[in-house]
Amino acid sequence: MADRMLLKGESREQVGTSKAVALRKQGKLPAIMYGHGKGTSSFALGLHDLTEAIHHGHRLFDIEIDGKRETLLVKDIQYDYLGKNYIHIDFIRVNLAELVTVSVDLNFKGIAAGTHEGGMLDVHLDAIEVECKVSEIPEAIDVVVKEINIGDSIYASDIELPDGSTLKTDGEALILNCHLVAIAKSTEELEEELPVGPEVITEKAEEPEGEES
Amino acid sequence: MALMPKRVKYRKKMRGKMKGNACRGNFVAFGEFGLQALECSWVTGRQIEAGRVAATHFLHREGKVHIRIFPDHSYTCKPLETRMGKGKAEIAGWVARVKPGAVLYEIGGVPEDIARAALARVAYKMPVRCRFITKRHSL
Repeated sequence: MADRMLLKGESREQVGTSKAVALRKQGKLPAIMYGHGKGTSSFALGLHDLTEAIHHGHRLFDIEIDGKRETLLVKDIQYDYLGKNYIHIDFIRVNLAELVTVSVDLNFKGIAAGTHEGGMLDVHLDAIEVECKVSEIPEAIDVVVKEINIGDSIYASDIELPDGSTLKTDGEALILNCHLVAIAKSTEELEEELPVGPEVITEKAEEPEGEES
Repeated sequence: MALMPKRVKYRKKMRGKMKGNACRGNFVAFGEFGLQALECSWVTGRQIEAGRVAATHFLHREGKVHIRIFPDHSYTCKPLETRMGKGKAEIAGWVARVKPGAVLYEIGGVPEDIARAALARVAYKMPVRCRFITKRHSL
C-alpha cells in the first residue's frame, strides 16, 4: 500500500443530516473515527484531497485534528445513490504494528490459455480478505492466469500471499475458473422455455358443478 | 412472451408510484462494468430481452452478461373502443420498475473498451438515460 498521507481535519460538534448536508456544500466530507477504546469522534475533511488520495490507492492516513495527529485506516465509505460521490467516511484508529483484516484486490495477470481454445475466464471473487500488519497492507495481489486451461480453477488457498499476510477468506472459496462458453440462446428459444403465464398461488381451484356440501 | 415471473401471489397489480432513488442494486456486484439508470421508468420484459440480445451479439461469445433487473410487475391495458368500467382489464405485459441509480446490466471478462461499446448498444434499447460505471475498489 502507498505511504501514509497527511490530511488536516477539523472537529465537528454539530452532527445530523442537515449539518452534514451543509458541510458537503462547503466542499467538506463528514467523517467519524473510532477504535482502540477511545470512543467516537466526528470531524470533517476536505473532499477533494481525500477523493484524490483514495483514487490513488491510499487507505492509511495521518489526520491532524486540532493539533493532534492520529493514524487512521479507512473502514467504510458511503456513496450517494449514483455511486459517484462520497457522502461519509469511517476511519478506524490503528497502530502501525497491529494486525488488521483488510480486503485486497486481486490483479489477474496474463491471458488464460483456455481462452484461446474457446473458453471463458469466469471470475467469481476479485478481492480476498487477508490479515497483515497495518504498515504492510498490500495494494493488490497478483494472480497469474496464463496456465489456466478449460476446466481449471483457482481457489483462495492457491493464491500466493505476500510475506507477513495470512488468508482470512475461506481457502475453498472459488476465485476463478475457465469453462467453455455456452451458446447464447435466441429470443425464440427462451420463449419456448418460458410459460405462457405465471402460476397464481392464491387462485382458487374451480369446484366441479352439481356437487352440494 | 418476454421475461415474466413463474409464480405470483396475485396476477393483477396496482400501478404504484416510483419515488426516490435506488438504494439497493446501485453498484456493480457481479461483473466489472455496468450500465446504470439515471432516470426512473418501467422497463418492459421485451426491452430487457432486446438489451440482452444487443450485448451478446456484440460480445460475440466473449465475456459474461448479467441482467440485474427482472420484470416482476404486471400492467393491464383495456382494448381499443371499449367503454370504461366492467372491471380491471387483462394483463398487457410485465415490467421492471427502475429507479435512478439502479444497475441494469453488467459485463465481465472483457476489456473496458469492448464493455463500453457493448453497453452503449444496450443503452439504445433502454427507455431511460444511462451511464457506464465500473466496479468499486475494495477497502
